[in-house]
Amino acid sequence: MNAKANITRASLAAGAVLLFAVAPGIRAQQNGVQHANDFTSTEYYGPTNQQQIKSILSGAEALPQPGGLLIIKQLKLRTFYPDGKPEIIVTAPECLYDTMSGTASSAGPLQLQTGDGKFRVEGEGFLWRQSNSFLTISNNVRTVIENGAIMNTKP
Amino acid sequence: MKLFSLIIIAGWCSLTVHAQTNATAQSSPASATTNSPDATRPPRTPPRIDSDSADFDLVARTATYRGDVRVDDTEMKLTCAWLVADVPQAGGRVNHIVAETNVVIDFTDDKGQTNHATGDKAVYVYSEQGGVTNKTVTLTGNPQIENAQGTQAGDVIILDLANNKIHFDNPHMIFRQNLIGATAGTNSAAAGTNDLSAPKKNDE
Repeated sequence: MNAKANITRASLAAGAVLLFAVAPGIRAQQNGVQHANDFTSTEYYGPTNQQQIKSILSGAEALPQPGGLLIIKQLKLRTFYPDGKPEIIVTAPECLYDTMSGTASSAGPLQLQTGDGKFRVEGEGFLWRQSNSFLTISNNVRTVIENGAIMNTKP
Repeated sequence: MKLFSLIIIAGWCSLTVHAQTNATAQSSPASATTNSPDATRPPRTPPRIDSDSADFDLVARTATYRGDVRVDDTEMKLTCAWLVADVPQAGGRVNHIVAETNVVIDFTDDKGQTNHATGDKAVYVYSEQGGVTNKTVTLTGNPQIENAQGTQAGDVIILDLANNKIHFDNPHMIFRQNLIGATAGTNSAAAGTNDLSAPKKNDE
């Protein structure tokens, strides 16, 4: 699991750096670090399934900050099963991504849903730990479960 | 050096970078939708879980809700302080929920009677075996159910949602209204005393 997590973290960090170097919409900043607009970073499964996409991270804007931090706006993370079916979709208007620790956080809203859209979560204030795929939502958490009543007393 | 390392890692991860054509955030999918209304029943809304905070372990696929937890279904409402539910795979469903601390369940049974159940812990289990659906809520920790007939308690109370029955382990009842009506309305209390300490396969 650590290896997978490292791949993901490295992928995002590397993606952040590389996209700043080659993606359209790049603007040089005074400190030499660049930022990107409308970026997408794709991660693939390991050697046994190289053609299969594991996750796609996209954003409207990425702003590098000191200390290996990135402000990502209009974040959208999509993960996929090895068979290509969508697993999880996470969206947030803005978050701060720490490329060193592999965490993303924000005081703002976040939405998460399973690939079929039948398990949907929203809340405010979150911390995402990429190493173990662990998400904490701090306030006003609401989950909607679409696939039939979970406890209905009448059939 | 750091940049070089990242480039190496990037190659190792088969990273691709390209311009995105649709970068705007997807519109919120979280607004509740209602199923098509039935002529005789109120529209069924999707079940909802609200809480102060929550943790989602996407490896173990569990969601842990904390603080003023409220489960709101069309015919049932549950409140508690702590609740763990499994996060379903795509196309799956929630099969297991554990609610703890000051569990309160208000539900309407198949006769349209409202019931108020309390306990320290409630475990919801959904399963399908051999074409038979099992759907139970097991209440423990001084569980009791209060309805128009009175208060019914037991060591364990099992709400059999698939068959609309309530089973009591070691039941004891406190009648509040007329005894005849109350007895007629609680047909399985005595029969379910001995062997219903855990959810069992239903045999319709």
